[in-house]
Amino acid sequence: MSTDASGSLAAPAEIEIRGVSKWFGEHKVLNGISTDVKRGEALVVIGPSGSGKTTLLRCINLLEEFQEGEIRIGGDAMGYTVDAGGRRVRRSEAEIARMRAKLGMVFQSFNLFPHLSALRNVALGPVRVLGVPPQEAAEQAAALLARVGLADKADALPGRLSGGQQQRVAIARALAMKPKAMLFDEVTSALDPELVAEVLDVMHQLVQEGMTMVIVTHEMAFAQAFAHRVVFMAEGEIVEQGEPARVFQDPQSKRLQAFLKRFKQGYQL
Amino acid sequence: MDLIFNSLPLLARGTLTTLYLSAGAIVLATALGVVLALLQLYGGFILRALVEVYLYVVRGVPLLVLLFAMYYALPYANVQIEPITGGIAVIGLYFGAFMTEVVRAAVLSVPRGQWEAARAVGLTTPRILLDVVLMQAVRMAGPPFVNTCIMVVKGTSLVAIIGLADVTYVGKQIVERTLAPFEIFGAVALVYFVICFGLSRLGQYFERRLNYVH
Repeated sequence: MSTDASGSLAAPAEIEIRGVSKWFGEHKVLNGISTDVKRGEALVVIGPSGSGKTTLLRCINLLEEFQEGEIRIGGDAMGYTVDAGGRRVRRSEAEIARMRAKLGMVFQSFNLFPHLSALRNVALGPVRVLGVPPQEAAEQAAALLARVGLADKADALPGRLSGGQQQRVAIARALAMKPKAMLFDEVTSALDPELVAEVLDVMHQLVQEGMTMVIVTHEMAFAQAFAHRVVFMAEGEIVEQGEPARVFQDPQSKRLQAFLKRFKQGYQL
Repeated sequence: MDLIFNSLPLLARGTLTTLYLSAGAIVLATALGVVLALLQLYGGFILRALVEVYLYVVRGVPLLVLLFAMYYALPYANVQIEPITGGIAVIGLYFGAFMTEVVRAAVLSVPRGQWEAARAVGLTTPRILLDVVLMQAVRMAGPPFVNTCIMVVKGTSLVAIIGLADVTYVGKQIVERTLAPFEIFGAVALVYFVICFGLSRLGQYFERRLNYVH
């Protein structure tokens, strides 16, 4: 895929983020964030904890409300519209649910439904939201589980699966909705180190297939190898962004330099 | 021994009445508990306030007083109901308040991440409640639910005071004729014990059946 000077792909924007600000009470956690995620782009968001990267991701599918700015998914405004009098009004729950269905989300803590088998976790959304007949949804779910390497775990309850397996079921659950874009919220942070690779492999495969992805992560090696663009956030703002090679080898801002330095040092006695 | 043996048919009929009252009241209390808990959690301001008032009233008035009100006061208001139906209604309404607490606590115990995952898939609130939250709440509610059922069974004994022929009432009648309180009330106590013990074991069985590694 070709990229321009700023590292963005030459493709239409799937997710448009315009001047998004969010407050938790008095505290401003997002300060006028603007960026586009192009169709087929894998955008990785890095930054210190408390920088607002997870909050931004959760605003995209409105798991968090935001007070200013707008987010558009495929051109459609997420969460809020402006009424005739110019006031910002929240869209109906049904509309918001319909738009959320177009975005897949994978969480740090998996959040699989513990009372449903892996297969039924994956098939629930298509049956209940998209109206796919149960038999057909089950076949699709089985195919998706096979795609993430879990064909033999279809009948297992989540509690019987390892963290890496649970996270791959969660990715299959999100893919089952045939989303326009996928959101990944520190999806390897709760995993044992030896299980991280199996999840990153699935994500790498999605990048290659041209899935639009927003990935919040601390896996710098993954970002460097597979991201089309890296955004560095600190204190609720985008401080620096660009192609991974540029961002990691030639950081311009003091804060990114300091952040990367701490990462390279790792744990030292 | 003969005494108990001769009393068995009467005691059996009383036991049936107790079982009937208990089953009816448990069904009513459970249905009420689910509806009121959901209204309290997700209803609008007015519905929530009404549920709160109901809960405070029921918690603040003894079951016996409610039974007296049904039995003695309602006829003055020209409301005629069968004593057994009235008994089920009053006991069910009374323990419905406790069931509301059981259901509410169970629903709230379902982690926030479950809601978020379900929302992210595109499910709407009613569907999330049915497919995700209540299915898990059932498991959480098991032990306190069984506990409340046991309270209902024992609570039905109060209807003896308003003249309903449950096992307690029948026992009292037999004792008045035979003057053998030890044996007869011993038998009555055993009836309650067996029902409640059975409920406990049934609860444990379902708890195991519904168990999954979290």
